[in-house]
Amino acid sequence: MLGCAPASTVNMVKASNHMKLQMLFDLFVMLYLLALMGDRFDNYRADHYTTKSLKPASVTVKGMRMMCSKVHRFFQLTTFIKGLALCVAVSLVTFGLTGCTKKVDDTDTTINIPLRANVKGLDPINANDLYSSMVIQNIYEGLLDYHYLKRPYELKPLLAEEMPTVSPDGLTYTFKIRKGVRFHDNPAFPDGKGREITAEDFIYSWKRLADPRNASEGYWIFEDKIKGLTEWVNAIKNKTGDFDAPIEGLQAPDKHTLVIKLTQPYYQLQYVLAMPFAVVVPKEAVEKYGAEFLNNPVGTGPFMLEKPSDWIRNSKITLKRNPNWRGETYPTEGEPGDKEAGLLEDAGKPLQIADQLVFIELTEDQPRWQNFMKGNLEWVEIPNDNFDSAVKNDKIVPELAAKGIKLQISSAIEVVYTAFNMNDPILGKNKDLRRAFALASNIPVRIQRFYNGRALQAQGPIPPGLDGYDPDFKNPWGQFDREKAKEYLAKAGFPEGKGLPEFTYETLADSKSRQITEFEVQNWAAMGIKMKISTNTWPQFQEKIKNGQAQIFGLAWGADYPDAQNFLQLFYSKNVSPGPNDSGYKNPEYDKLYEASLKLPPGKERTELYKKMRDILIEDMPWIFGLHRLNYRLTHGWLRNFKYNEMTYGIYKYVRVDPKKRAELKPKL
Amino acid sequence: METHAQPNAQPNSSELSAPQSTNRRNSLWWDAYRRLKRDKVAVISFWIIVAYVIMAILAKTGLLFPDVNASVGDQYMPFSLEHPFGTDIQGRDILARAVHGSATALSVGFIASGIALIIGIALGALAGYYGGKIDALIVWLYTTVDSIPYILLIPSLTFVLGRGLVNVYIAVGVTSWVTLCRLVRGEFMKHKSRDYVLAAEALGASHARKIFRHILPNVAHIGFVQFGLGFVSAIKFEVILSYLGVGVDPTTPSWGIMLDDAKLELSRPFWGNLLAATLFMFFLVLAFNLFNDALRESLDPKLKNK
Repeated sequence: MLGCAPASTVNMVKASNHMKLQMLFDLFVMLYLLALMGDRFDNYRADHYTTKSLKPASVTVKGMRMMCSKVHRFFQLTTFIKGLALCVAVSLVTFGLTGCTKKVDDTDTTINIPLRANVKGLDPINANDLYSSMVIQNIYEGLLDYHYLKRPYELKPLLAEEMPTVSPDGLTYTFKIRKGVRFHDNPAFPDGKGREITAEDFIYSWKRLADPRNASEGYWIFEDKIKGLTEWVNAIKNKTGDFDAPIEGLQAPDKHTLVIKLTQPYYQLQYVLAMPFAVVVPKEAVEKYGAEFLNNPVGTGPFMLEKPSDWIRNSKITLKRNPNWRGETYPTEGEPGDKEAGLLEDAGKPLQIADQLVFIELTEDQPRWQNFMKGNLEWVEIPNDNFDSAVKNDKIVPELAAKGIKLQISSAIEVVYTAFNMNDPILGKNKDLRRAFALASNIPVRIQRFYNGRALQAQGPIPPGLDGYDPDFKNPWGQFDREKAKEYLAKAGFPEGKGLPEFTYETLADSKSRQITEFEVQNWAAMGIKMKISTNTWPQFQEKIKNGQAQIFGLAWGADYPDAQNFLQLFYSKNVSPGPNDSGYKNPEYDKLYEASLKLPPGKERTELYKKMRDILIEDMPWIFGLHRLNYRLTHGWLRNFKYNEMTYGIYKYVRVDPKKRAELKPKL
Repeated sequence: METHAQPNAQPNSSELSAPQSTNRRNSLWWDAYRRLKRDKVAVISFWIIVAYVIMAILAKTGLLFPDVNASVGDQYMPFSLEHPFGTDIQGRDILARAVHGSATALSVGFIASGIALIIGIALGALAGYYGGKIDALIVWLYTTVDSIPYILLIPSLTFVLGRGLVNVYIAVGVTSWVTLCRLVRGEFMKHKSRDYVLAAEALGASHARKIFRHILPNVAHIGFVQFGLGFVSAIKFEVILSYLGVGVDPTTPSWGIMLDDAKLELSRPFWGNLLAATLFMFFLVLAFNLFNDALRESLDPKLKNK
């Protein structure tokens, strides 16, 4: 799953101090606005002056004009002083208001969650990005899910009664579907009441995912894997097929049994069934809303979008509790340390679902941090610039601990990378040029400057914790060496960068991404490579990558499931855009190894293949392998049972807010 | 009341439309120059502007801080003699960035208000001189443009055009000609029925000659003053747009990008970027405003005997 490359983490000074600085900044911005107003005044005067000259000038008029001009000059000289005074006044008022905080409602169970980028839509078949998935997985559910607390990650049934039975040849999976699970109440259903789900609903949802007319970004999870599905897709493509035509590999012998038949062993099948792409959607709603389905989600999950207007674009999404949700009990097992962290206090008790789940889209670090500090968000990733004031020696600083704030560290199963467009006539054809780029990228300094040293340099595509990761391996072209980079640049035919056109680096528009990009571009500029930076919103950025318009771009890939295959498939030639192979890398030798690895069960043999594939990638360098992040999060004292899960985002049914504690702690922030 | 041929407006027009070397020293421009010279604030402001221009030229030609994008040391180095404003997150000298930022700002000022000047005078002259349908069309055009608040119009234009210095020139330039256009139109309407224009027409002067040779020199001072005003607001817009992330390419040094960095650094706390960008902008904008004001007064015939 794609994530924002800019990894923010980190942090800062005393909050009160910070508030003052923030105020100063507000002042500053207001000064601009005032200065602009001054300008308006000038324009007005200039206007005035010409109309005046139409009339005979009298002594009084002359005198008045002189006076006017004195006043005007005074006004200009003092614009800044006046502006300052006004701003101070305004800020004092706002500050005063926040000072005498309103009483916090001690029955409100709302959970407020920050999103670092904008949500593009709530249709699960297009949920290929982290931010949309974070919302979607709380509305929709699939057959399987990950255990909330256990690490390493472990699958558990969700809409399935139990884990599937698998035939000895590994080709047939039989699922029993939970009885009595109902969709959200919605006008799409005959009487407005949510209908009970059946095995047919899963078949419908997956056909919809595969339907080429929907151009889903998630079809790769089933592509060439399910018997008869490829033929069905081709028939639809050639306009000879029918959507309702049966597929041999997807069968529902009765209402609550689903049989999946595969063309070849597919060891990742159970993992992909836990992804947001594979959730169940109701046919009625898809047909009723058509293209508007992405704004009118109807699922089976614990939360629902009551009305489309609860989603305010680029601002926030409010989900309400689904009153008909079947209920579940809190897990009783976790990993060592969970008990001490208080994560097992509710073990075995029925879940208490929050009344509301609010996703707040805040793309800039400081507003997100400030909102957390004011208690408007339940948790936050620590921004880079605030790190030193929040964390010392991997412990939370006492000032914050005194407010009941807690620190939570998790390692992301992901890789942050810089990709080259392999279809680019210059970049794609020149291996030495790409190596020169990689050698000139100063990853260790980047980790120090932008991640507070809380990241590990990536030596290949596979992150730690997965098969095929080798802690002793060093990428020969991944170690920063400017002299060697210059040699390779000369070898590539562009000594000192002569003869190279200006490249364009695509990145996101927020300040932190820009700074990281500036740093990278600066490293290349030192070798004479000219590059300009183009900044985008998240949806724009994804659009450009999907259409192959991005030349060089920085991105991160977070694991969809805990198997290195999820990272290696990013280079498989059949997965090129709109699939997940963003760089458009194609290598028949690599494809052969990849296909062979799919047929192998987890084990030593497969791990060896993974390592071979890694070596090919390092040789060809379609990406500059960047780093693996550690995530530092702060949570408020009133947030209970929160444990960030890197594999699934439908975790807010387990999480709850202690409203009494919030009412007590929030006013003291 | 068509009594607008004031005694004090006439000499200017006749002198300018029929320039003679003997009385050049009595022209509006000489007069303005003499009065400007007496105004100390204006003179100081003028030299400040000149200093900025020289600094910008030196920076652009590589004589001053040639390698602005290169790291010179650690990130966030404190203020020192070597780096008066310290270094930023990338370890670059902030003073160098501010100096190069003034080159960016001045270029936006000149080019954007230059574009506005050309559009404004051309359309204003056409509308005022010809009147009728042409006038109605142009008035409709500028009323429409003016009715969109330009704090919204300019960012949306840069969104459409994309990020980059040239796009900032265009976005600011094509949106800020309205005031000038309106003023020039008014002046042309006034002047086209004046005696000297009628005389030129009687002698067989073409439309073009009347517009360019006779009327335009008499309204040129408006262009001057508006150019100055536009200059200042173009600089401010460049800063605002870059601050918002839709202005110049991030590899181009800009005060707006420095302020954007400063936004993140407030919590460190580090304020080199904030201070440098603010000071540089403050002096340039202040000097420009004061000079402009003085220039306008000195060109105003009503205040001649001040």
